[in-house]
Amino acid sequence: MARNKTTIATLALGGLLTTAAFLMAFLWAPMTDFGSVNIGGAEIARPDIAQKIFYFHVPVAEASFLVFFFVALYGALFLAKKDRVYDTKARIAAEVTLMFVILTMISGDLWTKASWDTWWVWEPRLTTYFIMTLLVVAYFVLRNSIEDEERRATYAAVFGIVAFLDAPLSFMITRWYRSIHPVVIGGASGSWLFGPRLVTFIVAQVGMLALGYAIYQLRMREELTKERIEAAKAALEG
Amino acid sequence: MSEDGAYAAIQVRDLVRSFGTRKALDGVSFELPRGAFLSIFGPNGAGKTTLVKVLTTLIAPSKGSAEVAGCDVVADAVQLRDKIGLISHNPLLYPDLNAQENLEFFAEMYGLEHPKERIDELLTAVELDHRRLDLVRTFSRGMLQRLSIARALLHHPDVLFLDEPYSGLDPHAMDILDSLIAQVRSEHTFVMISHDLDKGLELCSHALILARGRVVLFEPRSEIDEAVFAATYRTTVGTGVA
Amino acid sequence: MAAERKSLSGRQFRAILKKDIVMELRTFEMLTSMGLYTLLTMVVYFVALAGAGQDFDVRKIAAGLIWLAFVFTSLLGLNRSLVHEHDQGVLDALLLSPIDRPVIFFAKAAGNFIFITIVEALSVPVFYFLFLQGKGFGGPLWMLPLSIVAASIGLSGIGTFLATMSVNSRGKDVLLAVLLIPLIYPLLLGAVSAASSSIVGGPHAFSEFWQAMGFIGGFDVIMLLASFGLYEFIVGA
Repeated sequence: MARNKTTIATLALGGLLTTAAFLMAFLWAPMTDFGSVNIGGAEIARPDIAQKIFYFHVPVAEASFLVFFFVALYGALFLAKKDRVYDTKARIAAEVTLMFVILTMISGDLWTKASWDTWWVWEPRLTTYFIMTLLVVAYFVLRNSIEDEERRATYAAVFGIVAFLDAPLSFMITRWYRSIHPVVIGGASGSWLFGPRLVTFIVAQVGMLALGYAIYQLRMREELTKERIEAAKAALEG
Repeated sequence: MSEDGAYAAIQVRDLVRSFGTRKALDGVSFELPRGAFLSIFGPNGAGKTTLVKVLTTLIAPSKGSAEVAGCDVVADAVQLRDKIGLISHNPLLYPDLNAQENLEFFAEMYGLEHPKERIDELLTAVELDHRRLDLVRTFSRGMLQRLSIARALLHHPDVLFLDEPYSGLDPHAMDILDSLIAQVRSEHTFVMISHDLDKGLELCSHALILARGRVVLFEPRSEIDEAVFAATYRTTVGTGVA
Repeated sequence: MAAERKSLSGRQFRAILKKDIVMELRTFEMLTSMGLYTLLTMVVYFVALAGAGQDFDVRKIAAGLIWLAFVFTSLLGLNRSLVHEHDQGVLDALLLSPIDRPVIFFAKAAGNFIFITIVEALSVPVFYFLFLQGKGFGGPLWMLPLSIVAASIGLSGIGTFLATMSVNSRGKDVLLAVLLIPLIYPLLLGAVSAASSSIVGGPHAFSEFWQAMGFIGGFDVIMLLASFGLYEFIVGA
């Protein structure tokens, strides 16, 4: 299949870009700091190394949200066309979402620990992605609980759509709630994402998306091959 | 539409119902005139229930078309529902309501104009008038089936579908069911799924044998050679599984 | 023709709602199990708060405790209401009638809303009696029932929607919990905030209350619309 080549290419591109972003993050993008400290009369900046996680955490978070959108989209397409292929696509997209969202949680958690010395904080993004993790896991629990194939696909499609609608609601309300019950969190101000930092960020984001797409394609091919084997088996028995 | 203006009660053309690689119905076609009584036979998994579900608009076909009482099962589904009734081996009644409340409920579902009279008429016809205020959960199997018939007939359907209606009934209840069907026989078209070859043949005007989602045999009763039919039945249905 | 369909839908809606109420009044199955469950939850609260000491102001977490009880109680009720249609396969008989599928949704959701609010109306005084005696509300009293009713609309809506799926699965109750709780997180946060504005009060109680109500309203509308649009796919699937 010609697809073979694009998949490998995307995989390579994704790998390349994320590695590049990693290097750029540490070697090129200027360090942010916590302000400075007076040591022996000299003002020395306190580097915020943990901030580097940002170049991984946010891209993977945004990628996971984007793939989540595809879960909902393929679900809607399945409901419209009743073609089983869309259900398979939705399921694989959900797998990729799960993987990304767990990476988001882990990287977010590491960042929290490194920056504020606590393993968890109920801030908008982390909370929303925690809810998203639960929603994607719920998607798979739902799939496992339904035996009839067509019903499983229909229910999963519907839940995927509703779950996707829920994610932005969760984010908005957590942000509002935190604004009235603030938890003291330091944060970078808005203006620092320019220049080299922005480029690094974009490289990381594109790389992450490319990786996501490549993984999705690889899993899809695996699934489609599996389905063809099943169909051949059924035809032989019949 | 057949000639002389009377439309066929049921017209099925190349009906396919599949999901993924599984085909419950694989190109079923037949035509049933009005007032006919069709008995559907077939082993388990042959697609009999699926066929009835498609014809009663509970499931949509994947390909092909079907028309019941002049309505397409997909395009005219809502109108079609007004014209069909289903009697299943499940009574499809609410156990915690009494007989009258059950019928009142379904009368509302169908938007009947004079529900009281119709309900009284039917309760008398199925000989359950004396039990109308008793909770359905206290009914015997035979009584449930009789009430189920009343439920199915509330809205004067054109076509009645029966999914193994005799299963689990004792001989007395079977007799009552027989007489009820005979009472309404002339006004309706019937489609019955049955595992009872003798009963099915006795009642039918047309017979259909399904296996693996395909039509093995479809003939008017008058043209059926008993021996050939029995042999075909044994070979397809006798194996037990599609 | 359109007017006819509308009045038929009205009849069907009322018939389903009436049926559910009559069946419940006859058996009291749902209300007793839900009521008992709430009471038991309160006992657990007592145990949980036992070590907190006299000076602990329960009012700070009262809104959360109340809603915790409501959520888990409604899980019970939601599944039960759909089980009635699922057992005996009666749902097929409903689907065979010329009913618009969303009418089934609204009727079932309305029934669930009624039962949930009955249990809520009984639970709040009991909670007050057990934990808040002698303490006044910090904010306006009317905010509490208003917010509970508003949030219960969303809870019964999306709950009925999900229960229609979970009733067809293995492990019905567990599945409903797994699906419902992450999904109603935004609603819960809004409901607890609004209830807190009433119970705890504070200088910004009014503005916080109405902002929270905004979120509750938004959630209700979005989820009800989504359920309405998607219901025909899942009922009778």
